[in-house]
Amino acid sequence: MSERSARAEIPPGTLTLLILRTLARSGEQHGFEIANAIEKLSEAVLRVEEGSLYPALQRMLVQGWVTARWGHTAAGRRARYYQLTAAGKKELAAELSQFERVTTAIARVLAPA
Amino acid sequence: MAHLWRRLRMLFGGARFDRELDEEMRLHLELRAEEAAARGLPPDEAQAAARRRFGNPTALRERSRDAWGWRWLDDLARDLRYGLRALRRGPGFAFVVVLTLALGIGANTAILSVVDAVLLRPLPYAAPDRLVVLLHDGHNPVAPANFLDWRAQAASFQQMAAAEYWTPNLAGVDRPEQVDALRLTADMWPLLGVAPALGRTFTADETRPGAPPVVVLTWQGWQRRFAGSPDVLGRSVELDGVRHTIVGVMPRDFQFAPFWVTRAELFAPLSLAERANRRKGNSLRVFARLRDGTTLAQARGEIARITARLEQSFPGTNGGVQVVPLTDKVVGDLRPALLVLLGAAAFVLLACCANIAHMLLARAQARRREVLLRVALGATRGRIVRQFLAESLLLTIGGGLAGIALGGWGIDLLLALHPSDLPPIAHIAVDHTVLGVMIGVSLAAGIGFGLVPALHATSGDVHGGLKDGGRATTDGAARGTLRGLFVVTQLALALPLLVGAGLMIRSFVHLMSIDPGFRSDGVVALEVSVTATPEAAPGRRADFYRELVQRTAALPDVRAASAINHLPLAGDEWGLELEVEGRPPPPPDRAEVATFRAVLPGYFDTLRVPLLRGRDVAAADTLDTLPVVVVNARLAERIWPGEDPIGKRIGGTFFDGQRRWLTVVGVVADVRQGKWERRPRAEIYLPVRQVRQYLEDPSSHFSYLTIVARGDGDRGALLTSIRGLVRELSPNATVSGATTMSDVVDEATAQPRFYVVLLAVFAALALVLAAVGIYGVMSYTVSRRTHEIGVRMALGAQPREVLRLVVGRAMVHTAIGAAVGLAASLALGRLMSSLLFGVSAADPLTLGAVTVLLALVAALAAIIPARRASRIAPTEALRTD
Repeated sequence: MSERSARAEIPPGTLTLLILRTLARSGEQHGFEIANAIEKLSEAVLRVEEGSLYPALQRMLVQGWVTARWGHTAAGRRARYYQLTAAGKKELAAELSQFERVTTAIARVLAPA
Repeated sequence: MAHLWRRLRMLFGGARFDRELDEEMRLHLELRAEEAAARGLPPDEAQAAARRRFGNPTALRERSRDAWGWRWLDDLARDLRYGLRALRRGPGFAFVVVLTLALGIGANTAILSVVDAVLLRPLPYAAPDRLVVLLHDGHNPVAPANFLDWRAQAASFQQMAAAEYWTPNLAGVDRPEQVDALRLTADMWPLLGVAPALGRTFTADETRPGAPPVVVLTWQGWQRRFAGSPDVLGRSVELDGVRHTIVGVMPRDFQFAPFWVTRAELFAPLSLAERANRRKGNSLRVFARLRDGTTLAQARGEIARITARLEQSFPGTNGGVQVVPLTDKVVGDLRPALLVLLGAAAFVLLACCANIAHMLLARAQARRREVLLRVALGATRGRIVRQFLAESLLLTIGGGLAGIALGGWGIDLLLALHPSDLPPIAHIAVDHTVLGVMIGVSLAAGIGFGLVPALHATSGDVHGGLKDGGRATTDGAARGTLRGLFVVTQLALALPLLVGAGLMIRSFVHLMSIDPGFRSDGVVALEVSVTATPEAAPGRRADFYRELVQRTAALPDVRAASAINHLPLAGDEWGLELEVEGRPPPPPDRAEVATFRAVLPGYFDTLRVPLLRGRDVAAADTLDTLPVVVVNARLAERIWPGEDPIGKRIGGTFFDGQRRWLTVVGVVADVRQGKWERRPRAEIYLPVRQVRQYLEDPSSHFSYLTIVARGDGDRGALLTSIRGLVRELSPNATVSGATTMSDVVDEATAQPRFYVVLLAVFAALALVLAAVGIYGVMSYTVSRRTHEIGVRMALGAQPREVLRLVVGRAMVHTAIGAAVGLAASLALGRLMSSLLFGVSAADPLTLGAVTVLLALVAALAAIIPARRASRIAPTEALRTD
């Protein structure tokens, strides 16, 4: 239920796109860091349910866009770090260009004739 | 691919997956809480805030799992667990269903595996469908000159080759021993088109007289004689005293010949040069490969023309030559039997399925209330159907697996019961095809048996059903018809099986009542060959056998002993053409043919073959005295009907081309010759000492005799004693084929016995299934109608009337089922007729008896629950649901 209402506010796939983008910039991050980074980019996406980051990460693992390894935080706590794969980079590029196409199209529709 | 691999890794690392995800989420919550605490919130509020922000961890965990796409598997596991629990509540029910299906699947697995191996698998040669055999009347061997003429003249064949049976004495490996071997013309190798596993096969040059002797081993021979030693090539074996160099080993799957001498261990070159002009001495089996583009019909036409021409030039030598596809020759005799067994097994499986279907349907009906309750509580129809499916799949997969295991055991049993009847395929096992079919049947049964009752149980008006208390006051007409159909089906399936078994049993009784003409009890036999030993020398051989028989007779417990060339039923059968003194010689193909035996004195006494007239052969009958013969009653009746044959003379050329006249000195009763069920033909017994070949000829088929002895003691011990005597008298003589006459008779009747046992087992199975099925249906019907019966009895019906009501309906169904079954039996009877002896496939006695038996069983199965119903107190009946 909660997922549906969160998604109703923002276009589907946005969370994935944001995760891809975050990881592309930072190289390697664990879940909490990703959540904070996304929050900085867009408060809306994770507002309702911050934890929905994790199913999204699992879906991306299945797709092979990210890989995960266990490491330690600066404070010495065990954390799972995620990293983009080549497939993930390709997916990001594809999604970005797709996103641009859509926004350009929308902009054109909305632009005064 | 990588995608699937990742998913599978997740599937099998399930526990670790959960642990890691939990740890990751916990860290997130802690970090978030610490962040809030750092802003000054009290710890518990900080944690609550973190949790609020995070969302529902359980739901998130589930969504994370779902990401991997194994949700359906989790559901299935849950359904199966629930199903197992439900079945554990009624273990008897589960056991009966699993057992029923296991029996059906087991029978089918075993039979199907054998059928698959024997009928469906191609012979182990290149393009086996192009191979044919050429034999007189489809089964009699061919003379060398004829084979050579056919090969030279026929254009229809790519190759034509001949094989000859050979039983050389094998020396030099361990103890001297007789082995089964074949001599082949060299073109047999390209004809069969199988490359050797080691070395080479032999060439045409090596079949010329004087060529260095070579031999090719079968894989089995290689394993047995040389323990599979890789340096076997170039080594030699001594066969009949001649060293043969081993030049090749055939592959493991290779087996030749496929329909006779099926256990040959080695192959040697066949040289026909010395016999190239002989049109008698038929000893060759001729194989040929059709030339590409030539049809069987064309080849048959050509062979018919060639043999007709040869028959004109050489009357009586080329009659009835048939060109038979090799596959037909190999499986032809077995096909009807295996098809009957296959049909029987399929019927058993169908009967099993009908039973299971009814059991599951009844169970679903009984659980209708539970189902309705769950629907009312919000379960979807799909959920419930899935639940039913899981349960029935559990049952049928369990039954299927148990059945396949049972089937593997059944194959062993089949082979143990009658190994020699089946072509010796390397081994018969449950193969992938059969396994696939059986798993498919189990799954189909599971889905079918689960789905139908599930849909049935979930159909209809939920609220109405519940209000009614889930109780059926009277049974719907449609359901009654459905159950009636089960009874009809059971009977229609069981009846043909019982008829088949009944016919086989009758046929078997006929067979076993045959008098073989001898008495087997206490008689042992063993072949003693002196081939290539000093005892084979002219002048010594007869003395050796006379001495051996005398010493055997002198053993304690031995009542009589003698010897014969070929033991009836087990040994070879040689036919010789005869002339009758004082009558014009008949045209060659009309000549009287008699089975030839050479015996020592006392043979008839040893086997207790009644001497009807005259005397036995005597020690005094030698090459220097009057040639005599003992004939069987059939010969006397055919040649001299109503006359006294003693003193009459018959003539023939006995192996050396010279005509001699033999005076009949005795007549004995007919003895079964080659086949148990075949009526004995004319037969002549000559004294060994008056057949020159048995005294002098060094070739292996003249230099052995079968010693027979009758005693009171242990037959194994007697055989051991005789072996000891042979060793004392001739260290190099070989002994083979040691047996008892009872075993010979058993072996001769093994095939029908095998079918009787199998069909009887299937029929018994079907009878039990029918009885259980009808009983199940009846008691269920009665339990459904208890309420109705209670009403009837409350209204004054007598128990007898209730009984008649219940049983009457069952008997109507029984009658319909029996009628359908009888029709099926008559239609299927044709298939069986070639397996029957002395009884027709439409034998009214069998059909009648079986129908009565089944009707009785059905009546009994109906009466028991009906009586129970008629004794119920009406008040009680009205309370039950």
